[in-house]
Amino acid sequence: MTLSVAELACSIDHTELKPEVKRSKIQQLCEEAISYGFAAVCINPTHVQYAAELLKDSAVKVCCVIGFPLGATLSTAKAFETKEVVRLGASEADMVLNVGALRDQNYDLVRSDIEGVVAAADEALVKVILETGFLTDDEKRKACLLAKEAGADFVKTSTGFGPMGATPYDVRLMRETVGPSMGVKAAGGIRTFKDALRLIDAGANRIGTSSGVAMVEDFRWARFSDSWLQPDKPCWTCPSRAANLTKQPKEVYLWYKQRCLTCPDREYNVFND
Amino acid sequence: MSTSSTAQNYADCALLRISLQNKKFKREPLSRELFQQYLGGRGLGVRLLSDALPARLDPFSPGNLLIFAVGPLTATAAPTAGRFVVVTKSPLTGTIFDSHSGGHFGAQLRRAGYAALIIEGASPSPVYLWVDDEKIEVRDASHVWGKDTASATDQLLRDTDEKAQVACIGPAGENRVKLAAIITDKHRAAGRGGVGAVMGAKKLKAIVAHGTGQSAVADPGQLDTVLERCRRLLKRNPITDKSLPIYGTAVLINITNESGLLPTYNFQEGRFNDAEGVSGEKLLERLYVKSYHCFGCPIGCGRITRAYGHEDGGPEYETIWALGPQCGINNLEWIAAANTRCNLLGLDTISVGSTIGCAMELAQKGKLNAPIKFSETKGLLELIDDIGHRHGLGAEMGEGSCAFAARHGGPEFAMHVKGLEIPAYDPRGVQGHALALATSNRGGCHLRAYMIGPEILGAPVLIDRDRTEGKADLVVLFQNLSAAMDSLVLCRFTSLAFVVDDYADMTAAVTGLPIDGKALLAIGERIWNAERLFNLREGFTSRDDQLPARFSTPLPEGGSRNRIVHLDTMLPEYYALRGWDSQGRPTKACLNRLKLKELSRA
Repeated sequence: MTLSVAELACSIDHTELKPEVKRSKIQQLCEEAISYGFAAVCINPTHVQYAAELLKDSAVKVCCVIGFPLGATLSTAKAFETKEVVRLGASEADMVLNVGALRDQNYDLVRSDIEGVVAAADEALVKVILETGFLTDDEKRKACLLAKEAGADFVKTSTGFGPMGATPYDVRLMRETVGPSMGVKAAGGIRTFKDALRLIDAGANRIGTSSGVAMVEDFRWARFSDSWLQPDKPCWTCPSRAANLTKQPKEVYLWYKQRCLTCPDREYNVFND
Repeated sequence: MSTSSTAQNYADCALLRISLQNKKFKREPLSRELFQQYLGGRGLGVRLLSDALPARLDPFSPGNLLIFAVGPLTATAAPTAGRFVVVTKSPLTGTIFDSHSGGHFGAQLRRAGYAALIIEGASPSPVYLWVDDEKIEVRDASHVWGKDTASATDQLLRDTDEKAQVACIGPAGENRVKLAAIITDKHRAAGRGGVGAVMGAKKLKAIVAHGTGQSAVADPGQLDTVLERCRRLLKRNPITDKSLPIYGTAVLINITNESGLLPTYNFQEGRFNDAEGVSGEKLLERLYVKSYHCFGCPIGCGRITRAYGHEDGGPEYETIWALGPQCGINNLEWIAAANTRCNLLGLDTISVGSTIGCAMELAQKGKLNAPIKFSETKGLLELIDDIGHRHGLGAEMGEGSCAFAARHGGPEFAMHVKGLEIPAYDPRGVQGHALALATSNRGGCHLRAYMIGPEILGAPVLIDRDRTEGKADLVVLFQNLSAAMDSLVLCRFTSLAFVVDDYADMTAAVTGLPIDGKALLAIGERIWNAERLFNLREGFTSRDDQLPARFSTPLPEGGSRNRIVHLDTMLPEYYALRGWDSQGRPTKACLNRLKLKELSRA
């Protein structure tokens, strides 16, 4: 893959979603986003107005999360929240879909939930967070199709607060499902340029990470060797390896673990690193 | 240029040639060509030594040079720029050797206006060198000969200037123990390769340096910009901002143990059951007094600790391992005391601990009849004393584990490469590190290419430690970078946060040389090949690019269980990438490209 440092930077949503974050951190986030040429800052609603003011003369967008991180709030609340953050300066809205409704196969509710946000967003981009760690592959595909039908602009893997982060496997599945016309954002647990490049290679065109600066700085190493991107053990990037019974529904956890038993790379699943 | 009237460009610094035989000295200019092709520090020393030494010279003969060098960034505002390097032919390995130390000595030497001190010949009686800016004196050292490094340091500061810095040897160096170090600031060591023994053979007890000049900077504005960025990178990096400042280098104990890489019982195992008790976390809880920063270092990985009522610097990760798990010892206080004993005697803790572990295994396997046993500390402090003073069994062990094990009929129990004891990472669990050890020009060294960074710590990114593909490429990259960094002369820990270009930017700002990352690596490559040529001339061959046979048998348990080293698949690729033939000899094309043809002829 040939990707310049600048190209990597402009695919990054520079993210800070922790609850304890103070204004000084948001200021730093915005300054770094301008300095490195990131696509957007991804923040909580309470910081949108401040960030929009700081970024008003730059190409960096303000991206705000909606119904975050659970997605279990009312559709009306999500729509209202979206309308408000757009009014305050957000250009992008990353909403969490109603995961429980999806698992209940209540697809009308899922669709209308997204449609409400899309309508409230007006011209702002809407990204739909699937929270893949709660879903089986069939559910991920269905969620992608619902988001597309509802008029969303992107599908996004995870919140970073759920049971799993982004994996190339999930991104590939999502890209294959939504096709080339829709965006795919990978987010959650992306810490290195190698993670990012693999996700971009799998089909992501936006990367959500709180490690954007380190990622771009370290990516400068790639100029001196191609060997950083040698394949790792397949289990390292497989979502089944991240499955966790304490964080996932039992049947979802077992669905992931069942995949290990039939995995063609099963021989690699012996080491503890 | 800097406006300071006393500021001096590195390129204008002198090479000070000191003949101990007749106590004469001569200032020589640093040639522009030498500076541009080798920068300074290690590179400068390597070239000077290569040009001066005849093949197969006895390292203890007066003809061997002992070169103390600093680099273009020394005593500037660049992070960690207070180090110095000692280059000589090693009595332990027979290879060309560079040994590095932090502390504050390097900055004083640079401020006195010198790029390098080239020490020739041998004095008939003990002397020390007093470098006070332009004033140079070779003074009698009979009153400190025989003293430990701390006492000698205190005395020499009283004799000269309390603001000066001392680099000295202890009894081990005086007695030509091949594990002898040069100690500065009482606990920072140019530890490896027996450089202290070469100093002792020259009857040079110490160098005391005091400088009042400044390092000039070609483009101060540009340097400020680069340094602001570098400080930010150090601050953002979790290892340089948190792990090392809080726990010191000993933070690695739990990490390597978890990965099954912590050599235990002389590399018979890769996991130490009592690792928690000797970890950086435990060191912080039980012995920590305060942090220690070398000159210009924002990281501060050094520890001042108190054990048995005595304060000293260290112990570092490698020391804790060598005097701890390597020997099966889990008593952190004792390890700190043993570290102090080594510092006072002027001994390399890595080689001492490794050789003791080797002796313990020889005893365990019935090859050595001596009262030493894994996990037992009884008599070991006395044994360390004996190593330093060349008494009894200690005299044999002071020759290093390779000679010692061979002498007792168990050469396979010496964990070394080219005669230098391998430090604290079992190579079976880290293939790139294994290749780096095997191909190291100074023998078993973990810092020629710190592959533990990407293979274990994930710096800059985590790579599969078991994979052999692509490792040769990264080892070459890191070896070249390390050679360049050692010529600047900066601490290896900065490379956990910086990228090659950052070093090039600093160099360009300070020196005015138009240099980028690739050009910096090319200088590193030239230095690496110059060292290789030196070693080939000394009779080393591709057969010496090997690891002990033990690493071809799997580790029995722990995080690296069932692994072995796969050197056979990586070494040919490494030679090819280096531009060497199948026997590990640089080809003509390679030497022409690196402007090393004349060294090849020599």
